[in-house]
Amino acid sequence: MLECKEITKRYGRKTAVDQVSFAIEPGRIYAMLGPNGSGKTTLMKMAVGLVKPDAGNFFYNGIPVDKNSRREVAYMSTEPYFYSWMTVKDVGRYYADFFEDFSEKRYQELLERMELTPDMKTKALSSGMMAKLKIAVTMARSAKVYLLDEPLNGIDLLARDEIIASMTEAAAPDVALVISSHLVDELEKIADTAIFIKQGHLAGIWKVKELRETQGKSVTDQYREIYGHGGENYAKADEI
Amino acid sequence: MQKLMKYELRKTLFSKLILLAVTAVAEAAFLAGVFLKWDNGLGAGISVLMFCAMIGIFYIGIESLLVFHRDLNTKQSYMLFLTPKSSWQILGAKVMENGISIFITGLFFAALAAIDVSAAVLYIGGLQEFLDTVRRVTSMFRFEISVSSGDILIVFFSMLSSWLMAITTGYLAIVLAATVLAGKRFSGLVSFVLYLLIMFAESELISHLPDLGSLLANSGAVIAAGFVLTGLMYGLSCWIMERKLSV
Repeated sequence: MLECKEITKRYGRKTAVDQVSFAIEPGRIYAMLGPNGSGKTTLMKMAVGLVKPDAGNFFYNGIPVDKNSRREVAYMSTEPYFYSWMTVKDVGRYYADFFEDFSEKRYQELLERMELTPDMKTKALSSGMMAKLKIAVTMARSAKVYLLDEPLNGIDLLARDEIIASMTEAAAPDVALVISSHLVDELEKIADTAIFIKQGHLAGIWKVKELRETQGKSVTDQYREIYGHGGENYAKADEI
Repeated sequence: MQKLMKYELRKTLFSKLILLAVTAVAEAAFLAGVFLKWDNGLGAGISVLMFCAMIGIFYIGIESLLVFHRDLNTKQSYMLFLTPKSSWQILGAKVMENGISIFITGLFFAALAAIDVSAAVLYIGGLQEFLDTVRRVTSMFRFEISVSSGDILIVFFSMLSSWLMAITTGYLAIVLAATVLAGKRFSGLVSFVLYLLIMFAESELISHLPDLGSLLANSGAVIAAGFVLTGLMYGLSCWIMERKLSV
């Protein structure tokens, strides 16, 4: 469905992503995990063409990602990006103008659930409200792949439940969700596969259930093992 | 493309409304000067209207470059580059919207000038004098129109092509700063120097076009060269954006 092959991105002397390869399959919810600066955001941005790789590429249904793949791959950035003159209603109109899979009805439902009103100005929203707006407008699309970068950032505990519910409602046999977060515990409840990124490398991909059944470990345990003391061996996937 | 153009217009709507508001105040002063024989109002109105016409058209071009710079260098870039649109469409919408804005602004000020001059002639000169003036102007106009309409068109298209060339060269400089020069020291300064060098090369190229024997043919060649270079700058910018631009 969505696959990256030997993808590399450098920023000056720093290699943000180094020869990473993996495939996203439909019908799954992926947790993309790793500390700050590990390369998760760069990977997601390359998947939608916002960032151009230096080597390798992302492929959607076998074709290098381009403007056409953005019709079916929805991305939610961790940073606010709406035009400052926009209201919540304008944001919905903008998405309706550009994305055929955008449902205004679904957007309205999500806004009500998130306690946002159409007349609110985006520049006046708090970080928590902005996070809710971003998730509402993204999940109002009927995409085939959702890439959600830190959707739970700055969200209080109660609102977190609403956001998690709106994300999981999109799950379907032909849909894949990739969610990055520092909140490993929260993601463990909903993800069935965990992708660990460490220092720009793929540290490993594990099915959550298999990890539990075969190794007796939770995703949190695995996270500690990879990123804590003694996790140096996970720096490169080919060393696993 | 139309949807992209709609949002490009929305981004610059505020400054265009300010231009319109200042023009409206100047027009009111001008008309008050004409009808109330208020010389100071008339003078101020004419000055500000001429200022608005010249600076307004100039600023619309400059603002287009400022908006493009912001679109590439802030997170607002996602609003454009997350849509299922190519760099060719995104930059094309900017060029189109800006060209149309300039054209309409020019047309608006030309129409306003025509109306104001007519009003002044009609009111200040008196009816008989006005009719004499109209008769005189009409006879001159008939003669002039056959000669100067071509000149007017040449001047208009020369300005349009050279202006579009300057703006698309500016787009290229901004793209270079955001791509091949990104993260490098003094990238803004280097891209500005590159802009000046490219503009110099373009004007040199145009000034060395072969003599085609007549003013019309030479002017046509200059206009055509301007449009070709505009296309080249646009194409080069889009080509680099498609391959190198990371936002």
